[in-house]
Amino acid sequence: MNKITFSTFLTSNTDLDETMIAELMRHCRTLFFKKGDFLLRQGDTCHASFFVEKGLVRQYGIDNEGKEHILQFAPEGWIVTDRDSLYNKTPAAYFIQAIEDTSIFLIEEELVSKLTKSHSNFTTFNDTLLHNHIRQLTKRIYQLLSASAEDRYLSFIKTYPDILLRVPQTMVASYLGITPESLSRVRKSLSGKNFKK
Amino acid sequence: MATKKIERVIAPAGVHFVGDGFRVHNIIPGSQGLSMQRMSPFIMMDYNSPFYFAPREVPRGVGVHPHRGFETVTIAYKGKVEHHDSSGGGGVIEEGDVQWMTAASGVLHKEFHEKEWSRKGGEFQMVQLWVNLPAKDKMSKPKYQAIQNRAINKVMLPEHEGVVEVIAGEYQGTKGSASTFTPMHLLNVILKNNGKADFHFPAHFNTAILVLEGNISIDGTNVPVNNFALFENVGENFSIHASADSIILVLSGEPINEPIAAHGPFVMNTKQELIEAFQDFNEGKFGYLED
Repeated sequence: MNKITFSTFLTSNTDLDETMIAELMRHCRTLFFKKGDFLLRQGDTCHASFFVEKGLVRQYGIDNEGKEHILQFAPEGWIVTDRDSLYNKTPAAYFIQAIEDTSIFLIEEELVSKLTKSHSNFTTFNDTLLHNHIRQLTKRIYQLLSASAEDRYLSFIKTYPDILLRVPQTMVASYLGITPESLSRVRKSLSGKNFKK
Repeated sequence: MATKKIERVIAPAGVHFVGDGFRVHNIIPGSQGLSMQRMSPFIMMDYNSPFYFAPREVPRGVGVHPHRGFETVTIAYKGKVEHHDSSGGGGVIEEGDVQWMTAASGVLHKEFHEKEWSRKGGEFQMVQLWVNLPAKDKMSKPKYQAIQNRAINKVMLPEHEGVVEVIAGEYQGTKGSASTFTPMHLLNVILKNNGKADFHFPAHFNTAILVLEGNISIDGTNVPVNNFALFENVGENFSIHASADSIILVLSGEPINEPIAAHGPFVMNTKQELIEAFQDFNEGKFGYLED
């Protein structure tokens, strides 16, 4: 994927004016994480939202048996954070980790609160992000409850068109809540329907 | 007929692993000034300079991955590679062999060190080239040309100075063993110490050499082992002089003057075609291959 800067994201997805964007840019910074580095560890308090400019991160938890479960991938142009920890200042329940070398635009929560108090159009922007997030989460919960492995996979490739080529199959299976063997079966059966020799 | 001069000699830069079985220098398009367009139709060259792999029961290599829109050409100098693909094909590329795979509309394949070779370990040296396809052929049917060394047409140089293996194109009237979609020459040149070979390519063909063994010079410019030399697109003729027993890969091709939209394992003409490539891969249209 090509690099997407946060300013490009803002100009193409919001109606924030240029002065507002310039102010955000002035107060924020870009951080670089090597593959495997953590943006946030379980137990730490989260102080920022992470916009992925280049690279790929995942948010995941570890169950009592030590098994990882991926909640979200965030490739270029996505925002990831631990909202509970960020808003309530509680210890983070999940890890956020770079799974490729990644460049992150860091949006400090302190700045977000300041801007939402003084600029109504920033509040609207922030609300939109929150509502989008809730919509995605609801959709994902419903899918995990109701959809077949194949439907979950089809929805996954629509949401993340290039992730299959960027992460191991085990991570895709973890995100889908199925075993790697089941993912192989789904992909094999799809190819049986779609592959014309 | 004017002399073709060397534009630049490029020493092998940093290495990276492709999977865990190929330790390569990316020469095209990773070297400065060697973009896909500059070297078209040769849009990618990974060079695994001689590297010792310790014995291992489970062969090293690179797992299932797709390709669309171009051809991969693997030339094995040392070591053996086993490959399998989604159309059920597979085989072993032995030392001296060439595998010319036309991925075209799409294949899934995997490449690993050959089992027995991996068990013994040894020195590994290999070149993988990506040869672009013109827009009209990008979605043609995939195919393989598995060319064993004994089937490669050869030209003996006078006075036992060496031999030219004509992989593709032509050398002194001898045709290459592989068929290509656009005009190009791919020659493996084996020269004895003090041997000399003459070449003649159209001025506008993008031309380069890679020295795999020995030491050579061209028009007084030394090109040491593992170095790559790019030629100017002026003049037609040059000669390679060996100052040790040497092996040189010579590539020269007519540029495909079409837009390139490349991402990962897909090389197409437009961004839309790239999006379709990802979609088709995700939906299983490249077939299926077990990891």
